[in-house]
Order: sequence, then C-alpha cells, then structure tokens
Amino acid sequence: MNWAQILFNSAVTGSLYLISAVALTLVYGLAKFPNFAHAEIMSLGGFIGFWVTEQLGAPLPVAFAAAFLVAGIVGYLSYRGIFKPLTDRGASLIHLMVASMALGFILRHTIGEIWGFSPLTLSIVWPAYDIGPLRVTLNWIILIITAVAVGIGLHFMLTRTRIGKAIRATASNPRLALSSGINTTRVLVITWFVSAGLAGVAGLFRGVETRLSPYLGWDILLPTFAVAMLGGIGSFYGAMAAALIIGLAENVGVVLLAEAGLSTEYRMAIPFIILIAVLIFRPQGLAKAFKGN
Amino acid sequence: MDPILIYGLNALVYIGIFAIVALSLNAEYGYTGLASFGKVAYFMIGAYSFALLVQAGVPWPLAMLLSAGIASLFGLLVSLPAIRLREDYLAIVTLTFGEILRIFIKAEDWLANGVWGMNIAPSFAAGNFSLGLLLNLALVAGILAACFFFMQLLANSPFGRIMRALREDEIAADAIGKNRIKYKAQVFMIGSAMAGLGGALFANFVGYISPESFLPIITFTIWMMVILGGPGSNIGVIVGAAAVQLFERGTIILKDYVDLPVDPTNLQNILFGLIIIVILMYRPSGLFKESKINTLGTRRAMRWLNPSSK
Repeated sequence: MNWAQILFNSAVTGSLYLISAVALTLVYGLAKFPNFAHAEIMSLGGFIGFWVTEQLGAPLPVAFAAAFLVAGIVGYLSYRGIFKPLTDRGASLIHLMVASMALGFILRHTIGEIWGFSPLTLSIVWPAYDIGPLRVTLNWIILIITAVAVGIGLHFMLTRTRIGKAIRATASNPRLALSSGINTTRVLVITWFVSAGLAGVAGLFRGVETRLSPYLGWDILLPTFAVAMLGGIGSFYGAMAAALIIGLAENVGVVLLAEAGLSTEYRMAIPFIILIAVLIFRPQGLAKAFKGN
Repeated sequence: MDPILIYGLNALVYIGIFAIVALSLNAEYGYTGLASFGKVAYFMIGAYSFALLVQAGVPWPLAMLLSAGIASLFGLLVSLPAIRLREDYLAIVTLTFGEILRIFIKAEDWLANGVWGMNIAPSFAAGNFSLGLLLNLALVAGILAACFFFMQLLANSPFGRIMRALREDEIAADAIGKNRIKYKAQVFMIGSAMAGLGGALFANFVGYISPESFLPIITFTIWMMVILGGPGSNIGVIVGAAAVQLFERGTIILKDYVDLPVDPTNLQNILFGLIIIVILMYRPSGLFKESKINTLGTRRAMRWLNPSSK
C-alpha cells in the first residue's frame, strides 16, 4: 500500500472540498440557511469552464476567471431576485431551503438544456510527475495551491479588511451591525458573489479532474455539507481542518473498505456517515463560528 | 381498453400514490413544521420491503402493511437522534439518509439485486392488464381515502393540536408539559409509515424498482405538492399532488403535439422551480389555506360564546 500516495490524494480531495465548503459556509453563516443550489452553481462553474476552453478555445486560467465571474453573478442574482425578497417577506428557514432547491432545479435543467445530460470531458492532458513514491499531476498541484490561497486569502479578507470585518459583524448580529452603520445588504451581496464564485471554481476543478454533468455539483454537495458541518457553520478555519479530515477519511476509507471486502461504492457514503455523526454528536462542529473568534 | 383511458387511469393511480406520500409530508411539515427532506428514503424503504416480502412469499396485503411498519420503524430510528436538531440540520440529515440508503441498495447486490433492480410479481389479475389497472386504482383510491380520513381525524384531535403547537412554538409546547421529542418522533413514525405505504403501492403498481427509481427529485416533487396545495390542508395537498402529476404528464405529452425548442423534461423542471419560488413569494400558504381546527370542543365553545348561532 502506497500510503504517501493515499495521503497526497487525501490532500487533493480535501482541497476540492475546502474550496466548495468555505464558499458554502460563508453564505450559511451569514444568510443562516443551507443553500442547496450551491450544488448547481458548482456545476455551472464547470460548464462555463468547458465552454470557455473547449468551445471558445481560451486558455484555462481564463476559464477559471470566467467560472468565478459567471457563477458569482448567478449567486448575486439569486440573492437579489429570490433570497432577499423572500427574507424581506419573512420567509421561514424551511421556505428558504425549499426555494434554494427550486433554484437548483432551474439551474440544473438550464445547464442540461444548453450542454445536455451526457457527461462531457475537458480535453486537457495534464503532465504527470514522479516525486519519490508519489505520482502527481499538475492539476492536483494547482488545486492544492488554489485551496491554500483561498484559505489564506479569506483569512486576510475576514480579519484585515473593512468588508471582512463587516461580514463577521453581520454574521454575529445583523441588527447590531445594521444599527452601527454597516450596510448589511451590501455585505450580503458581496458574500453571495464571492461564495458563488468560489463554488464555480470548485466545480471547474471537479470537472477538470473527472467529467462534467449537470449532476456534478450534486455529487459533491453532501460531502461539502459534511466539511462545513464538521468545521462548524460559518467557521472557515474549522472548514479547512474538516476538509483534510474528510479527504483523509474518504481516501483511507476506500482502502479499508477494499481490505474488508466491502463495496467501494461506500466511498461516497463515508462523508455522509461522518456528516450524520457530527450532527448528532457535535452539531456546533469542530470550531466556534467565526463570529466568536 | 382505449389507450387514452388507460393513460388516464394510469395517471390517476400515480396521483393517488403521490397524494398519500404528500399527505404524510403534510403531517410532518404542514402540521408539525418538521423539515423532512428525506421523503424518498421512506418511499424507497416501503417499496423495497414490499418487493422483498412478496418475493419471500408473503401475501401482498400483509406485505403492504408490513412495509408501512418497517418504514415507520426506520422513521423512528432516524428521528431518535435527528429530531432534536435544528430545522436545517434535520433537513440535511434526512436528505443524507436517503442518499446513504440508495448507495447501500446499489452496493449490496445480494439484498435487492443492486443496480439491476427487482421485478415484483403482479399481485392480482395476472394476465389481464385492464382489470389489473382497475384493481390497482381501486386499491390506491381506497388507501388514499383511508389516509385522508385518518389525517383529518388526526389533525382535529388533541394530538393534532399538539402538532400545530409544536410548529408554532415548540418551546412553549414543551413548557406546557408536551414532550416535544416524543410527539415529533410519533409524527415522524406516522409520516414514514404513510410514505412507506405509498412506496409499497408504487412497487406493486409499476412491478419493477431499482435504485434509480428513488432519486432525490422525488422528495422535491412531494415538497412541491405540499407547498403548492397548501401546507396544513389535507385537501390542498391532494389537489397539489394531482396538479403536479398532471403538469408533469402534460409537458411530456406536449412534445408529441408541439414542436418545442427545448426538451420538455427540462422545461418542466425549470417551470417547477419557478412556480415554487413564485408561490413562496406571493402565496406561501398555498392554494388552500389551512382550515380552522374543528373539534367538538371548539364547536361547544363557539355555541357558548355565541348562543344565537346553531
């Protein structure tokens, strides 16, 4: 068993979950509801990347920028068009969840209408390197670097910038934030944009690694929830630790499953089981929400 | 039988089956305010239990009852740890449970033939398609009627008032001595049993089930029926179930007559999403508003308050 490779693969899996989970947890911490349409925003990012590279012929960095922008704009529009009006009308938590599922449906089938439901593959061939016992491909290295950059970037944004401080203030007490002169609507607009944009990036990474289908986002949504929950909603420091834990659990778990003679189909169930266990035994997650820091 | 008639009767059977499941969600969400996003899990448990029991030689009426019982037990099992959670956590746990169950059925070939699915021997009138369809319709209609009256009685009973109290303010309900965990678990058991019954009827009617028959979209469709029809109104959710089913079929038939520039399935799902959002924004109470509580007690009280009326 090549444990070095398993550890490296865990870091790759964890990095992907990290990007999507910090994005999810930002909105969850602020808007106070789980946005199920996060899945389809990830798919959208993947397909925008496909369109830019395969259909327009632009280089990959452009595709990532486009995925971020288009997904971000969709996030902005969904907040402005759906979630803000609903919140203003006093919609309950359950209504917001149902609305986010409905939005997910609209997006998924719009994507399906444009690009179809059969899986598509990006035609990029990545160079692979052998480093000691490890076999790594360039996209994995880029993914890990991006995840670390997203983590550090968000850390500095939340602790050092005005908007970051406003986000934390709004997350911990929206009314107090509003009365102390913070434009909470603007804070939410920016958060939705950044969150959806990052979801788009995560989706494109997933698409680069595997294949694209309108179900791409749904397939990683529940592991993403697992990471966000294990980390503690609203806490992205927690999310970073949790992403590694879940990545490790999945990759080590699949080896253990094979050794135990169980179906490797259960690989997908591992994050789900962790998710349920976390919700039952430690619903507040590993860390306190960032409002408490 | 005329193919159009067969198609219509077929649609009625589906409406009936989904109306039963929608009624069960109405018990959980409409009356009690529980965010059960795992309806498909209990539907699936009911369907697979029925298929396995019939395969093992259990007579179908008994298999149907047992399926409801098994689904109910799973409802209790999931509810015990999950019911204490906040609404959003409960939604995620129940959603996840459905997916785990589907992975389990896919992975364990020995149990229910994995991804290949199971064939279910027809329960009655083998060989006569039309008669089988009519009998299925009668069975589904009968069970739907029973479920409807049960729900009406339940909603207007003291238990129903506790359900509404839990929805409106569970801390207050707890404070007046109503053990909210116990009552929520009971509601979950009732809801899961009914969803399981719906699943058994579904398996019995379609005669073939596979993990692909139980995608999360089913949960969403059922939520749509309840939100559209009116949470807290049993008639409403049945109308909602009929409307959603007919709309779903309508868009599929449409493609034979109209040359649409878009795929009707996509169009239908996009419209479903839009309709839900519009309803949540402009008419969150659904088509049918929740009816007033109608019990002997309230009638007496009204007579006492207003002696001139009958």
